[in-house]
Amino acid sequence: MNSQNGKTTKDKFIACTPSNKKFEVSNPLSEKVKVKGKKLDLRVIEDPEGFSYIIYKNKKYQVDILEKNQNKYTVTINGVWYSFTIETPISYKRRKTLSKNGSSSKIEVINAPMPGKILDVMVEENSEIKQGEPLFILEAMKMQNEIVSNVSGRITKVNIKQNDSVMKDDVMLEIEKS
Amino acid sequence: MKIKSILIANRGEIAVRVIQTAKIMGISTWVIKTSKEPYAYYLSEADNIIDFTEQLADIPEFLDIENIIKAAKEHNIDAIHPGYGFLAESPVFASRCAEEGLVFIGPSSDAIYRMGNKTIAKQLAREHKVPLLEGSQGNIETPEEALKMAKKIGFPVILKAASGGGGRGMRIVEYEKDVQKMFKMASSEAEKAFGDPSVFIEKYVRNPRHIEFQVFGDKHGNIIHLGERECSVQRKHQKLLEESPSAALTPELRERMGKAAINIAKSVNYYSAGTVEFLLDEKSDFYFMEMNTRIQVEHPVTEMVTGLDLIEWQILVAQDEVLPLKQKDVKINGWAIEYRINAEDVQAGFSPSLGSVEKISYPRSKNIRIDSGVVQGSLITPYFDSMIAKLIVHGETREKAISYSANALKKLWIKGLKTTIPFCKAVLANKNFRKGKYDTSFLTSEMKTTYFVDPDEEMLAAFFATYDFVRELDSEEKRVVDFDKGKNMAPWVLKKRLRSL
Repeated sequence: MNSQNGKTTKDKFIACTPSNKKFEVSNPLSEKVKVKGKKLDLRVIEDPEGFSYIIYKNKKYQVDILEKNQNKYTVTINGVWYSFTIETPISYKRRKTLSKNGSSSKIEVINAPMPGKILDVMVEENSEIKQGEPLFILEAMKMQNEIVSNVSGRITKVNIKQNDSVMKDDVMLEIEKS
Repeated sequence: MKIKSILIANRGEIAVRVIQTAKIMGISTWVIKTSKEPYAYYLSEADNIIDFTEQLADIPEFLDIENIIKAAKEHNIDAIHPGYGFLAESPVFASRCAEEGLVFIGPSSDAIYRMGNKTIAKQLAREHKVPLLEGSQGNIETPEEALKMAKKIGFPVILKAASGGGGRGMRIVEYEKDVQKMFKMASSEAEKAFGDPSVFIEKYVRNPRHIEFQVFGDKHGNIIHLGERECSVQRKHQKLLEESPSAALTPELRERMGKAAINIAKSVNYYSAGTVEFLLDEKSDFYFMEMNTRIQVEHPVTEMVTGLDLIEWQILVAQDEVLPLKQKDVKINGWAIEYRINAEDVQAGFSPSLGSVEKISYPRSKNIRIDSGVVQGSLITPYFDSMIAKLIVHGETREKAISYSANALKKLWIKGLKTTIPFCKAVLANKNFRKGKYDTSFLTSEMKTTYFVDPDEEMLAAFFATYDFVRELDSEEKRVVDFDKGKNMAPWVLKKRLRSL
C-alpha cells in the first residue's frame, strides 16, 4: 500500500451542505484539526454508555451520526440535524464539473417519508410548482403532514390520489426541476 | 368497594403512569398487548398481559369496546382505567362497563355525554352563568341574518364553516361594513371545501391564552379545583408545553375562574378528574370552551405543584371514597413546566420521525420528573401518536423552573431519533416566554425559528461528519482484504483499494 498516497488523501476534506455551503476540514483525526483554515481546539469524547460529545470552548455538545450512506452524512449536534456530503478536493472538483455539464438527474422523485394515508393532493400532472409549495397531505401518527416541494419545477407524474394508503418510500410524484 | 385489579385500556406513557400508582396502592395491573407493538415497554411494567395480537378486528385494539370488556370479565378484573384518548371520553364505554359490573375509573357516562356534546355543554355553561363565546345557535342562512347576529354578539366576530376544520371557510370580521361580503366568501369557500355552505358566527377572541382548570369531584357531591394549567404554547392546537400555575392569573382571577370551573362540573354532578378549558383575552376576560372528562397528558404539572397523585385520587373516587382534601386545604407550591418530547422533526415542519430509540440519557434531580413509555430499543411506529416522553421540571419560582429546565434539556438525549427537544430549548430562549407574556399565537408570531441553534454547531457538525468518514476510511484500510467480502464492498472503497495495490 502506498502510504504516502494514503496520507495525502487524509489531509484535506470538504464537507458540503445540500445548499452548497462548504466546510474545509484538515487533519480531522489529529490535534491539528482545522476547519475553514482555522485551528480548532476541540476534543471528541465517547463515554462508556455509548454517547459521544464534542468539547469546544469549554462547552459540551451532544453529537451523533443519525444516518450515513457512503459519503452522505446526517449528523445531530444537540438534537439539531445537519446534512453533509464528504468529498476530497479531487472528488469535489469532479462533482462540480459533472453538475456543470448537466449530467445530473433533472427529475426529482418524491417518496412517501412515512407510511400513511393521502388526505389531499394539491397538484396535478403538468402543473408548475415552486420550492416550498405544498404537494400533498399525508396523515400519519394521528397528524396531518403537509409535504412541501424542495425543488421548483413541473410535475411530470402523479401516482397518488385522495384516500390512497401508501407505504414508506412509495413513489408519490415526479418533478422535472426547472 | 376496594379495587383489587385494574385493566389499563391504553398504551405508552399513560399505561406506565397508571401502573406506577396501582403498584403503590397494591392493585394488580393488566395491560393489552397488540400486534402493532408486541415488545412495548408498558407491557414489561404490568403484572399481567392480555394478548390481543391474534385479534383480527377491523377496529383498532384500544377502540374495541366489546373486546376489552370481554377480556376484563374473562380475567375477573375489577376495574378499567381508560387512560386518555378515545375510550376515556366514550359515554358508551362508561355505560357498558357499568352494565357489566365493571368499575369505570372516570366520570359517569351521563357527564361524559353531556360535556362531550358542545351544544349541551354550552347550554349548561349559559345556565350556570359561566361566560362563553356567544354565537349563533345554529347556522346562518343569509347575509342579512349574519349582520344582525354579528351586531348582537359584538365585533370582532368569526364566521366558521359548520362542517369545517383546518382554517378553511373561516373569516374574521372586524367591521360592520364587511359582514355581508365576508359571509358570502366564507359560505362559498365552505361549499367548495366541504360541499356544505352552512356557516355559523361566533365572538372572536384575538390571540387568547389557553388556560385550563383541573377539577376533581367525588360521588358524594364534593367538587374542588387544583389550580390552573397554562397551555398556550401550541402548534395547530397541539399542546407542546404546559405550566402551572399561569403567569397571567392573579389570585382574584384564579378564584373567579376556579369557581366557574367548579360550577361547570357541578352542572353534571361530576366526579373523578376533569379539566375545564377557558380562553383568556388581553383584558383578562375569560370564556368557557369545553370540558375534558378525563385525565390529561399535562396532569403532572398539577401534581408537581400540589404534591398530589391524581391517578390515586381517580382510583379512590372510583372506590366511592370521599375526596382526601377540601378546597381550602389545596396549596400550590412553586412552579412546574412540562415539555412534550415528541419524535418529530422540528426542522421539517414537525413531521413524524420514525425509528428506534438507540439510547436514552435522562437528567436526574429531585425536582425533575420524567414520564415515558419508551426505553432503549423501543420502536416509534406510525400506528400511535409521536409522544415519547414528558419532562417535568419544578422550581420554587417560575424563573427557577425555567433555569432548571434549561439545564435538564441540555442533558436530556434520546439518541437515534429527531425529537422536539431543540424546540423546547428555543421556547425557553424566547424573551417574552421568559417574561410569561405569551398567548396561543406564540409559535407563529413570536418564534423566529422553531429550534434552538448555537452558532458554532454547523461547523462542529461538519467536523464530526468528516471525522467519522476519515475514521471509517482508516479502519477499512487496516483490514486485510477478504475476497468474499469484496463482493459486497462499496464500489468507491473497492476502487480505492485497487488503486493502492
